[in-house]
Amino acid sequence: MKEENLSSKYKWCTLVLVITMTVLLIRLWDLQIMRGAEMRKLSEQNRIRVKKIVAPRGIIYDRIGKVLADTRPSFNIYLTPEDIHDFSQTVDGLARLIACDREEIIEKMKAASGMPPSFPIKIKSDIPMDEVARVEAHRVYIPGISIQIEPKRNYPYAASFAHVIGYVSEVSDEELKDKKKYKDYSPGDYIGKYGLERAYENDLRGVDGEKRVEVDAIGREVRTLDVIDPIPGNSLHLNLDLELQLSADKALETRKGAAVALNPKTGGVLVLASRPGFDPNLFASGISKTDWQKIALDKLHPLQNRAIQGGYPPGSTFKILLALRALDLGIINERTTFSCGGGFAYGNRVFKCWKKGGHGSVSVHRAIVESCDVFFYNVGLRLGVDRIHDFGNTLGLGRVTGIDLPNEQKGLLPSTEWKKRRYNQPWYEGETVSVAIGQGAVWLTPIQLAMLSSFVAGDGKNYKPQIVNRIVSTEGKVIKTFEPIVNADLKLKPGVLTIVKDGMRGVVNEPGGTAGASKVQSVLMSGKTGTAQAGSDKVKLGDHAWFIAYAPSDDASVAMAILVEHGLHGSSAAAPIAKGITETLFKVKTVIKEAKVNENR
Amino acid sequence: MRIDKRRYYHLDWYLIINGLLIFGIGLLNLVSATSSFSSGSYNFMIKQLIAFAMGLVLIVIVMYYDYRVIANHSRWIYLGGIFLVVLVLVIGLAAGGAKRWISIFGFSIQPSELMKPILVIFLANMLYEKKRQNTPLSLKDIAKPLLWTLIPFVLIVKQPDLGTGIVIILVCFAILWYIGLKKSTYAVLFGVGAISPFIAWHYLMKPYQKMRVLSFINIDADPAGFGYHAKQAIIAVGSGRFLGKGFMAGTQHKLQFIPEHHTDFIFTVFSEEWGFIGSVVLFALFISFINRCLKIAMNAHDELGAIIAFGIASIIYVQFTINVMMAIHLAPVVGIPLPFISYGGSSLLSMLVSVGLLLNISTRRYMF
Repeated sequence: MKEENLSSKYKWCTLVLVITMTVLLIRLWDLQIMRGAEMRKLSEQNRIRVKKIVAPRGIIYDRIGKVLADTRPSFNIYLTPEDIHDFSQTVDGLARLIACDREEIIEKMKAASGMPPSFPIKIKSDIPMDEVARVEAHRVYIPGISIQIEPKRNYPYAASFAHVIGYVSEVSDEELKDKKKYKDYSPGDYIGKYGLERAYENDLRGVDGEKRVEVDAIGREVRTLDVIDPIPGNSLHLNLDLELQLSADKALETRKGAAVALNPKTGGVLVLASRPGFDPNLFASGISKTDWQKIALDKLHPLQNRAIQGGYPPGSTFKILLALRALDLGIINERTTFSCGGGFAYGNRVFKCWKKGGHGSVSVHRAIVESCDVFFYNVGLRLGVDRIHDFGNTLGLGRVTGIDLPNEQKGLLPSTEWKKRRYNQPWYEGETVSVAIGQGAVWLTPIQLAMLSSFVAGDGKNYKPQIVNRIVSTEGKVIKTFEPIVNADLKLKPGVLTIVKDGMRGVVNEPGGTAGASKVQSVLMSGKTGTAQAGSDKVKLGDHAWFIAYAPSDDASVAMAILVEHGLHGSSAAAPIAKGITETLFKVKTVIKEAKVNENR
Repeated sequence: MRIDKRRYYHLDWYLIINGLLIFGIGLLNLVSATSSFSSGSYNFMIKQLIAFAMGLVLIVIVMYYDYRVIANHSRWIYLGGIFLVVLVLVIGLAAGGAKRWISIFGFSIQPSELMKPILVIFLANMLYEKKRQNTPLSLKDIAKPLLWTLIPFVLIVKQPDLGTGIVIILVCFAILWYIGLKKSTYAVLFGVGAISPFIAWHYLMKPYQKMRVLSFINIDADPAGFGYHAKQAIIAVGSGRFLGKGFMAGTQHKLQFIPEHHTDFIFTVFSEEWGFIGSVVLFALFISFINRCLKIAMNAHDELGAIIAFGIASIIYVQFTINVMMAIHLAPVVGIPLPFISYGGSSLLSMLVSVGLLLNISTRRYMF
């Protein structure tokens, strides 16, 4: 009985041992044989980290090769979740070492929650040297932390080129959600957000490299296995001119407004300035909340590029468009005169000329030089709004010019068809009277008026404005050259351009010309002032000051449009800026010319 | 001291050689497992060898006294063990959030480890009479042994050392089963067994222990936290494949991806470096050792020896099985060392004392 009982217990034990062995061996077989290769791969990945080497962004040069945007090294702090042993130890420890909230760190980690735990999350960019030293000294106590030296975007001229060059910033969560468009980006990557940085993102970005390193469990690099070098981004060579831009920007600095200067022979953009501006360097090093709110909530809208996004009534500069069209159609000729008594009665309303006493009998030349409103009321009525609209549209007004910057605004050049579509109302002739002097429903951007100026300067031809001249690889190979693209090339009736150009030369150079004060010594400049009513009849704001110009008058190499918001008078506020640009541009040439003249003597 | 020569003839060389093989493998494995520590593996090996030497002395002492004499004093030994376990709670050394050690003469020892063989002798002494009568235990009969097991269990779990607590409670049940239970006793025990997990979950378990269970059920629930150890452990084992990465060539533990890889998770180091083949050999050695223990139990001179030998077999079986299952994610993470292999003096001493008892029983099998 006893032996029997014992041996039955023993049999049970044997059974248990056999079952145990079987279960353990099946599991081992599953792990080591069936899934062995996969597990081996996982263990390799554990050991080997792929670390990104950020490609330096392409450099942006002005037209003679001066650097407008480059990169400099910056120390960035990364956190690898997989290497964290104690969450609060690492996060609190880091928050104490660098000027960064615990909440900010957690927010960054949340943003990258879709990434594998071995993915290093950028916590802070461009930390100062003392923080670098502090973090390095305490690294052992905060597992998961690493410091990487990475290229950071640098804008030496800060706000002066902010709107045209734009800025880079970390790719946002919303962008990352768009998996198709931003599939090559991961959290912490920089992306062009504005201006050329955005428009040419694909060229400037380059291809990030990779470094495979063996790491230990707190993420310290034990050794480097191999390196794939990054390919730096291509550089942009612009048509912009550093000196001209700085001169325009300095003149605008304390005001609100924009300055555009084009090369009338190519459409190359020499100047594209807008104020108020902002410092793009703030964005490149990870803008702080307070800085961002300061910029975003500023009532002066420093983020708006007024040169291509600001719509303003063009005022008297618009008269050039009417003069060209009316002369070309033969509605008026050189000798056509209208009598200006200081006002123009139409319907039951009197439209005033800016000159109280009136200009008397004026021809087209004097009407441009002295900017007579009554003359153009007449011309406008005879042309009709649709012919003004169509012609302006051809030149590039009231539609996007196609400049290589994102978010250009169309402005508005009214027509009967537009009014019907927009308000379902017929166009009233009385409205044409206002449009004739660039008021009423006309809203144009500075770049569009620069196109008008360029059309006159280019003798009936203008080009699509282009900021970038060519894209060049780091090896110096030209990848793409942007050839001039004709925007409008019109065969106007002979003499038409001469009449208008004579008028515009008179504006600056003749006695009585509205911009006489801005006469340039070294070179002949032509132009047209504009003073546009701002605000509504109820809210009176200071008038916007306009000046469109080109120089030299006979064979122009620069065509400009200057706007000063609430600058009151085109002649006093805007024209001196054009004068400044012209003087800067022709400074060197004058010296050479004088030298040559002396030689001939 | 007069030692009966006959005992040497009856020394169980099978058990000794089998044990030495396991210990040898363990020592070799420990060298690799601790090679990445800043103090180097030498220190660990020396400490383990000192514990082994002390263990050999203990074996000789344990073998000198007849196990029946030892069992006669088991009450005092048990009380001494309980005293040490209580002492841990009062003056214990804390490490990793748990108080498990006390320092005696410069050695830190873990009384809960020693409690395992002590409890086996104590229970055996209490119950062998019943076994001899061959009467299945009623509910009333098991109340006393359960109570004497629950006292150290509660004290040890309070440290907290859940692993050792689980081992002693399972060993207690194994001994009760070995003696034989009435059908009604089985029924009640199964009933209690069925509801105890719910009681444990709601009233007894600490949040970190619950997290371990949850991440056992879903390993990916918290891969950076509690699931981390389990995941890294199976990666280590799996990556060993058929032949292993080779001695000292394991990467998982060397780069510190597996915590406690020289103590509770040491199987992952072995399996990563020696692969499926090595693991099969190690398993075979363990099964063979346990089997030998059971043989000793079967051939023991009396019921007392049989119960002690069986109890020790069940200690080794429970520790081996749970430790390996934990490493290959078949059980939640609990701190249970792998007998003879894991680094730790107390665990090794406890094992060697157990071997001493086994040899004691086997050499005295023909004595009357």
